Amino acid sequence: MQPAPAFPEIAVVDLQVCDRCGLCLPLCPPEAIHLALTDLVVDRSTCTGCRKCIAPCPVGALTMVPA
Amino acid sequence: MTHDTDVLVIGAGPAGAVAAWEAKRAAPELDVVLLERDARVGTPVRCAEGVGDGGLREFADPDGAPWVARKITRVVFVAPDDTEVKVAERDVGWILDRTRFDAYLAQRAVALGAELLVSTEASAMTCEPDGRWCVRLRGTEGEATCRARVVIGTDGVEAMVGRWAGLDTRVPARDMESCAQYVVEGIDVDPDAIYLQFGAGIAPGGYAWVFPKSPGVANVGLGLVALKADARNARQYLDAWIARRYPRGAKTACTVGGVIVHTTIRQTYTDGVLVAGDAAHMINPLSGGGIVNAMKAGRLAGRVATAAIRAGDTSASRLSAYHAGWMELLGDDHLKYYRLKRALEDLDDQFFNSLARTANAIPPEKRTLGRIFAHALVRHPQLIPVAARFFI
Repeated sequence: MQPAPAFPEIAVVDLQVCDRCGLCLPLCPPEAIHLALTDLVVDRSTCTGCRKCIAPCPVGALTMVPA
Repeated sequence: MTHDTDVLVIGAGPAGAVAAWEAKRAAPELDVVLLERDARVGTPVRCAEGVGDGGLREFADPDGAPWVARKITRVVFVAPDDTEVKVAERDVGWILDRTRFDAYLAQRAVALGAELLVSTEASAMTCEPDGRWCVRLRGTEGEATCRARVVIGTDGVEAMVGRWAGLDTRVPARDMESCAQYVVEGIDVDPDAIYLQFGAGIAPGGYAWVFPKSPGVANVGLGLVALKADARNARQYLDAWIARRYPRGAKTACTVGGVIVHTTIRQTYTDGVLVAGDAAHMINPLSGGGIVNAMKAGRLAGRVATAAIRAGDTSASRLSAYHAGWMELLGDDHLKYYRLKRALEDLDDQFFNSLARTANAIPPEKRTLGRIFAHALVRHPQLIPVAARFFI
């Protein structure tokens, strides 16, 4: 488990790396990730920063950034 | 522009194509629309493309079919220390050409009168006062809406239809396999066998596979559970494995994806909505296989949806027959396989290495999975509680 960050963080997706496979969608407890044909979006206001989507991404396209 | 239909199937993979086909077969007078987000049905391929012989034959005849890449007659399990165990089986299965196979299934639905819309994605859906679902479509020609009596969600791992309909399609992290795969050319493997290798350093919580498509060419991939992995992602694990096992292989066509190794979602239906295939987590949690399951669920969904429309009752209570039918068909078995998967997670590499030696002590022609299991239970008593979990 990751220690709780000192400042709130949210997940962001690097669209250059993302393969749009959809794996992260059902992993997101608040369902903050949406996939459209051309982009995968993390809803900034819904993401709780839980990090559950980060490690499972097969290509490492998701990272945490300060909220 | 508004398009009205009786059945709207969202996602033209095996579940969706069979659902549309079965709906038209069971009720030719009803309108069926099959939606595909990508420009062509069957691409991109996010699949190892292996399928069992018996299950496939319920839906299509693979002998001589153009959508088959290879017939498989042997299975080779590879222990973490590279000990190979060849299992004697006949008519094991097939490696499909999913681009052609999915197109073939969709074409069959179209031939019966289903309307196929490609390059069209569903972006939202809302339930209207008369019980129909109004689905917003986005395509190359702009936006449109489609009103449907029953929506069948076969939209794969992302499962947006289920989410829009209020069904819980979320997956715990330990039940999600992160997968990566290359088509590798120029490798020396038995072209009639599939290879499955286990190991905490190779594919923690999952396995690596070689599924041959033609002599010297194979789908080479792996699935792992990120919670059990080190800091590397699935593609990095795969690169390391290929570098060690097939250093001369030429990697092409990398694909990645998620395989949900859980059990069927608690509720696969609601008013006017059914979900099937990966979208409903209908994957064998032990093998990660889902193609035949998806087709079986699609067939059931097409049947239940059309019967409900004919009866003028598409309520959740009427559509619940689909869920009950699926659980009886395979869903209850998946609960058992899931318990077995969880029990097997406690066994380490040393155990699998020693199990491989036990199996290889059985003469090759008698080395069936059943015999391996029987010998293993005697030689490795730690398997007894594992076996018990399958039944309890």
